[in-house]
Amino acid sequence: MSTIGDRLACAACEQPPTFQDVIMNLQRYWGDQGCVVLQPYDNEVGAGTNAPATTLRSLGPDTWRTCYVQGSRRPTDGRYGENPNRTQHYFQFQVLMKPSPDNIQDLYLGSLRAIGVDVDAHDVRFVEDDWESPTLGAWGLGWEVWIDGMEVTQFTYFQQVGGFECAPVPVEIAYGLERLTMFVQGVDSMFDIVWSRGADGVEFTYGDVYLENERQYSTFNFEVADTDFLFQEFNDREAECMRTLEAGLPLPAYDSVLKCCHTFNLLDARGVISATERMAYILRVRTLAKAVCASYMKHVVGIEVEDDTPASATAEGKEAARG
Amino acid sequence: MANLHTLAFEIGTEEIPAFDLHSATGQLEKLVPAALDAVRIPHGDVSIYTTPRRLIAIVADVADTTEALEEVFRGPSAKIAFDEAGNPTKAAIGFARGKGVDVADLVRREENGTDYVFATRTVAASDVAELLPSVLRGVIEDISWPKSCRWGATREYFSRPVRWLVAMLDERVIPVEFAGLTAGNLTYGHRFLAPGPHEVKTASDLLSVVEAAHVVTSEAAREAAIRAGVALAERATGARAELPAKTLLEVVNLCEQPTVLVGTFDEEFLRVPEEIIVDAMLMHQRYFPLYNEAGKLTNNFIVVSNGNPECAATITQGNERVVRARLSDAKFFYEEDLKRPLEAYVDRLDEVVFQESLGTMKAKTERTERVVKKLAEAAELPADEAADAVRAAHLAKADLVTNAVVEFTSVQGIMGSYYALASNEHARVAQAIADHYRPRFAGDELPATTVGRLVATADKLDTICGLFAVGQGPTGSSDPFALRRSAIGIVNMLQAGLPVSLVQAVDASLATYQDAGVQFDVAAVREQVLAFFTTRTTVMLRDGGASQDTIDAVLACDVVEPVELARRVSALEAARANEPETFANLATAFARANNLRDSKLGVDVDESMLCEVEQALSCAVAQAEDRARRALAENDYACALTELAALRKPIDEFFEQIMVMDENVAVRENRLRLLNRFVAVFANVADFGKMAKGSK
Repeated sequence: MSTIGDRLACAACEQPPTFQDVIMNLQRYWGDQGCVVLQPYDNEVGAGTNAPATTLRSLGPDTWRTCYVQGSRRPTDGRYGENPNRTQHYFQFQVLMKPSPDNIQDLYLGSLRAIGVDVDAHDVRFVEDDWESPTLGAWGLGWEVWIDGMEVTQFTYFQQVGGFECAPVPVEIAYGLERLTMFVQGVDSMFDIVWSRGADGVEFTYGDVYLENERQYSTFNFEVADTDFLFQEFNDREAECMRTLEAGLPLPAYDSVLKCCHTFNLLDARGVISATERMAYILRVRTLAKAVCASYMKHVVGIEVEDDTPASATAEGKEAARG
Repeated sequence: MANLHTLAFEIGTEEIPAFDLHSATGQLEKLVPAALDAVRIPHGDVSIYTTPRRLIAIVADVADTTEALEEVFRGPSAKIAFDEAGNPTKAAIGFARGKGVDVADLVRREENGTDYVFATRTVAASDVAELLPSVLRGVIEDISWPKSCRWGATREYFSRPVRWLVAMLDERVIPVEFAGLTAGNLTYGHRFLAPGPHEVKTASDLLSVVEAAHVVTSEAAREAAIRAGVALAERATGARAELPAKTLLEVVNLCEQPTVLVGTFDEEFLRVPEEIIVDAMLMHQRYFPLYNEAGKLTNNFIVVSNGNPECAATITQGNERVVRARLSDAKFFYEEDLKRPLEAYVDRLDEVVFQESLGTMKAKTERTERVVKKLAEAAELPADEAADAVRAAHLAKADLVTNAVVEFTSVQGIMGSYYALASNEHARVAQAIADHYRPRFAGDELPATTVGRLVATADKLDTICGLFAVGQGPTGSSDPFALRRSAIGIVNMLQAGLPVSLVQAVDASLATYQDAGVQFDVAAVREQVLAFFTTRTTVMLRDGGASQDTIDAVLACDVVEPVELARRVSALEAARANEPETFANLATAFARANNLRDSKLGVDVDESMLCEVEQALSCAVAQAEDRARRALAENDYACALTELAALRKPIDEFFEQIMVMDENVAVRENRLRLLNRFVAVFANVADFGKMAKGSK
């Protein structure tokens, strides 16, 4: 038996937990800590942080606790399924608790135990890694968590989101589900992760489920996606975001921000955004994101903010627009 | 007699970043005694112990009470303090208030024949245990962190969340409050080996309780333990470990109980350039590489674990898996990169921004190539070297877009040189690519060859000129592009004999920006850049021991080439050191002549009007003028100085015996012309006035 996945989630079986066991155990564990177990957000996001349940709900004074799996897309990371560690689509398990509980590190270690990692028999370390998202106007302090030198989690105390101070402070825990499961199962390629195992012994691997996906999407992202269409989409979504904000609806407006992000990422993967244009695009997204956060503060949290309309975005937008 | 106690104070935290922790350790060594002294708590030695999860201060011999204190202050004179009716004036009331006493308690007393009012302030002895909570809270708040955060619903800031406090004066708990916590007598141990809580019976037990809970309490002790473990590992493997100071400090502050383990990776990875492997291990994983006797990287590496030593095998295995994954990536990247010649990556530099207003790295490459070409021509380099320099400039940045460098940034340049060799570029080109980032820090080696130095100079100068052109030169402590370091690097290369004129190089570089359509005031930027180099050179000369007045004397003659400046300064310094009296007198005489001279009168001296002493000076000046000019033409600055030194005697005699300001206008003006001529001789050598006593 592998020395790596020492203790098993399921006492009855001799094998390490499957990918879906890991997910279900994490959901059960954090659900028991009072988290709302959400289902993945149904829009393309680059990370669990970008889902509104984290970004927007970090704002304001109300208590909030949630956990969810989030399929995350990073088109430029695609490797046509040929790299064992890198893909354009992967899963994060996201936990957000506001205010951060005093025993949050212990709670986190408890979650590792819940998925079969005997933390006492390994070298678990919290290594400085601060987080900053210029596009969200957000930053926090925290760590990446290492198990025997492998980074498996990002752990962050949010200080600011959308340019607004977070008070109380939320803590975000973002597990890389593939990394973590590879560690627990002792496999060297994410495509070899056992996703599920039936009572009759029939197994599905991560490769069975997602390898073809990686090949097709890598080809699409790098070679096929229609760039004229994407440039147009970016502009349209930007306009739609502002129009929605004018109607005082930050939640649907935020969807347009996410669409802009993903469109930008696709254009980036297609290699049609020059180095000098990059900053202008990032700035346009940031302007939208901050405006949405301001609108959320005003319409949902109920705190008056200076200005929730992205007036400057229009001018900058026109300047940088193309296609 | 007061009883003496031990004070123990522990701030328990979540993991503090390694370098911030190191800085806090140093701060606490001053903060704690200062905080106690500020409220006059008598105490003995203060010892600071820190780990990523705790900051501990142990103070010996703390008294029960502070000493009572009586302070007497003299106020205004009685005349001012009281009006005619004998009532206290505003002055007296203000004085009393300022000293915190009642105006009725002011006393009159004579001092040196005048009556003054005096205030006596009594500070009662206080109970130290009562003072400590706010003193210790102050210590928590006074540590400064590069970055700090809030957590939960608290408003306080600290490097990372504070989770417990221990504060004890012997057995007595001192209830320090911070961020919703109140200090007690419970501490916590190693996160996994002995988490606790553990009770502390008395202050002097704190360290032993923590140490028994698998915590090595000081940076020094952890470092010693790691070094001892490394020595054992070296003996076991027959290899030598490299422990860069920065990584070592980080590793020391990433654990509470270090265990040194040796891991192994597959030998096949040694085919990948070792710089990438070392980067992957040191930068990304904080592992230490092991080298054999010949200095070659071996397939063993050192891991410092914070885990249970009994689980060493599991932990080593886990780390080996991580290394395997990382090195597989590195090998994959390296092999992918090798599929195309280095040349093929140059165009993709268009995707990398150099600076927002200055375009991409591709544009930078093109500019650098042009400048290198120009400088190689001016230096009359042999054709093959010139061609290699231009080629190296063309390829120097290409590796920035290769997979390996994108992933492992510290190997920029080095990977380029591997790829250049694999693409059948000349060895000298490859070497120059690897070297062109040098010197990367003070004391770093210069590029090995003239070709490398030429490329390094042009590349650094391009950055300096470009940033000055867009108004992004360094200001105060802000120098994000490390322009100062680049300038010093260039000066060092010029000093080492690179046959390049800085002025020519700056002009060539600015011309490439003009041609690229960057809008800026060329004359102004040129002046700023040259002044920037002069300042850097001056600082370097001063660091080398040259005195400021010597430097000023040389600078006054508009010397802009750093090499020339340095040469003249050192010659003048040497001359002054050899004949201190001569040069001191000469400087005084020069200053005097310079003050008197009247440039309107010109230098046409009527020889017939001169007396003997004047004649002697006139002859000496004529001779020195001629010889100094020739010496300068032959670049023999030292000789020029010797010629000037010969003027000392005649000028001294002149001033001793001649009254310049004669009543006869013709005589006076002729003498002033002679002094004008004397001063003019110095004009191209050094402004001796700067070295005159009292001028600076």
